[in-house]
Amino acid sequence: MLVAGCAGTSLDAPDYRGIPKWTSRATPEARGDFRTSADGTRVAVRYPGWITRDFDRYPTYAYGDERIDPPVQRVTMPAGVAGDAQKGRALFLSRSKGPCIGCHLVPGDDVWPAGNAGPDQSTIGDRKLPDQYLYQVIWDARAYFPKTMMPPWGTVGVLSPEEVVHIVAYLQTLKGPVAPEKDRERNPVTRPKPAGFGDNLDPTNNPAVVLADDGEALWSARGPSGKACADCHEGGAARAMRGVATRYPKFLKAYERVMSVEDFLEVHAPETTGRTMASQSADNLDMTMYVKRASNGLPVSVDVTSPEARAALARGKVTFYRKVGERNHSCADCHTRETAAGKFLGGRVLADVTAGLTRHFPTWRTDRAEVWDMRKRFQWCMTPLGMNMLAADSIEYAELELYLTAFDNGKPVSVPGIRH
Amino acid sequence: MSDRTRIPRRQALMALGALAAGAAAGRFGVTDAHAQSAPTFGQNESVQDAMKRLFGGKTIKDGSAVIKLDIPLIAENGSVVPVAVSVDSPMTTSSYVKYIYIVADKNRIPVVTRVTLAPEAGKASVGANIRLGETGEVRAIVEQSDGTLLQVARDVKVTVGGCGG
Amino acid sequence: MSDIGKVRLRIPSTIKPGDVVQVRSLVIHPMERIERDAQGKIIQKTYNYINKVTVTYLGKTIAVFDTTQSVSENPFFSFTFKATDPGQLKVEFLDTTGGRYEGTADIKFS
Repeated sequence: MLVAGCAGTSLDAPDYRGIPKWTSRATPEARGDFRTSADGTRVAVRYPGWITRDFDRYPTYAYGDERIDPPVQRVTMPAGVAGDAQKGRALFLSRSKGPCIGCHLVPGDDVWPAGNAGPDQSTIGDRKLPDQYLYQVIWDARAYFPKTMMPPWGTVGVLSPEEVVHIVAYLQTLKGPVAPEKDRERNPVTRPKPAGFGDNLDPTNNPAVVLADDGEALWSARGPSGKACADCHEGGAARAMRGVATRYPKFLKAYERVMSVEDFLEVHAPETTGRTMASQSADNLDMTMYVKRASNGLPVSVDVTSPEARAALARGKVTFYRKVGERNHSCADCHTRETAAGKFLGGRVLADVTAGLTRHFPTWRTDRAEVWDMRKRFQWCMTPLGMNMLAADSIEYAELELYLTAFDNGKPVSVPGIRH
Repeated sequence: MSDRTRIPRRQALMALGALAAGAAAGRFGVTDAHAQSAPTFGQNESVQDAMKRLFGGKTIKDGSAVIKLDIPLIAENGSVVPVAVSVDSPMTTSSYVKYIYIVADKNRIPVVTRVTLAPEAGKASVGANIRLGETGEVRAIVEQSDGTLLQVARDVKVTVGGCGG
Repeated sequence: MSDIGKVRLRIPSTIKPGDVVQVRSLVIHPMERIERDAQGKIIQKTYNYINKVTVTYLGKTIAVFDTTQSVSENPFFSFTFKATDPGQLKVEFLDTTGGRYEGTADIKFS
């Protein structure tokens, strides 16, 4: 049974029995660990600059985590709070809240950049909806729309009752006619899509191509065991590794789990050369890029038919559709055509999973001046979702990555990528 | 075709001692010690102060007839914004572009770069990746060999959002 | 970081005498930005950033970029030269801590 880019294809029912426990071999800040600070609070151990808040209240992707979404709260708009439309507008635009404009366009030259993942609210006041209705939708939209992708802002405490009252007052002022746009970039419907960062394989354009060359030294150098990769894999990496990356992630019997190239290097390097290659270490990223680019131009061809692959895909698909975190989002809420793929979330266009999103990883992140592999990208998504991340080399992430990679089948590898 | 040369790292160069520093001084007229104390080309200042510092009160004419400023309307982030400036110029010894400046009005350090060109460059066509602190104007200012100053400017929006920040 | 100072140049594979050739260059470098303390005051220290790029062709300087911290990390620069004779094109990067990095290309006609 093939999973070939059809969102509606049925898979086997997911089976979580017999999945081994995996002890992470990732770098310390990549394991999703916590430490206890001097005053007894739990603080996350994370990459430099990443937030360290503990989101333990909310469901994660961990296979043992059986929690479901926070229950829907049906509430009544408090009496005795005078709604202030100006305060409401400031909240609507505030990046420390939604921001609401991340999904919803409203009028104003200072509205930059609004998204269209949710409906345009510019004339919602004309609909003369009851205040109570608007209040409930903002507090917990699931009361009216069970499958909504709108986070339950009040239920999870991002907005207080007073704040929601102000936002309701603001929305009720938004009446037509809407002024003609002076600036076609302001409205996400007319805004041009990003042009990208050019040729990812040009070393004068993509610093990751320069860093990937470091893999060459790693490949040839003797590790602590006295052996080098080159000793067993003869003929140079370009020949020996040609086509290898097209088959990853894959189920490896020796480790009873699905592994990406990054995961496999973690176990393979110490066993052969004696060298440590922790997930998220520079050596792991450099070697992964070096191995993967030996497959550049070749079509991705991950196994989707063996019983092990099918079982992993079924679990990966459940993960993709599972609502998690403070924002109560699933990957699917943003990344399918049926939801918001192709639309703007703030200033970013949401990618469509069926287009294949993995074949350019590891990728250079221009805004971070860093190489990110697929796992770091997953972990990053956890942050705005308000969810504790798992270890970079976790089985859950590997199977989610396999689910995503199935959509890349047939399409050419091009590593390293270059992205915002 | 790409070409690359590895030269010893800075630490190794420093180990060569005075010779390396001296060589640097001889060619560029400034020693390492001097580099740290010399007034820097980039200053933390307003764009008005920067323009005054660079050009005094000289008239800067509209250069849209001869200057092409290639820069995205929307920059995906403020860390890497590709800019290209080309000037319609014969680049002969009697008529060439002497300097191309790139200035970002809203940056804390508005002066981004000044490119000095010789006629042997063949064309006045340069590019660089620049940082933008926030949405604002980016200018290309050109000084011709006869002293004429020309400018074009474009408004660039820096965007944010999504799960990538 | 051991990659600082690595340079890459790209020139077209075919160059004819008299061509005006575009060169693309990149150097790995942190281009340190100004840091501020908790009160917002600028921290006084030597910031390590490339402040000069010199392009020479056949030994003559044909372009110089004076650069500031407003240039991106791992800076990219492009420029042109008129290919009159075979010989060396050199791009030299200087940073504020005395670092000096270069890349060269042998210009040949074909």
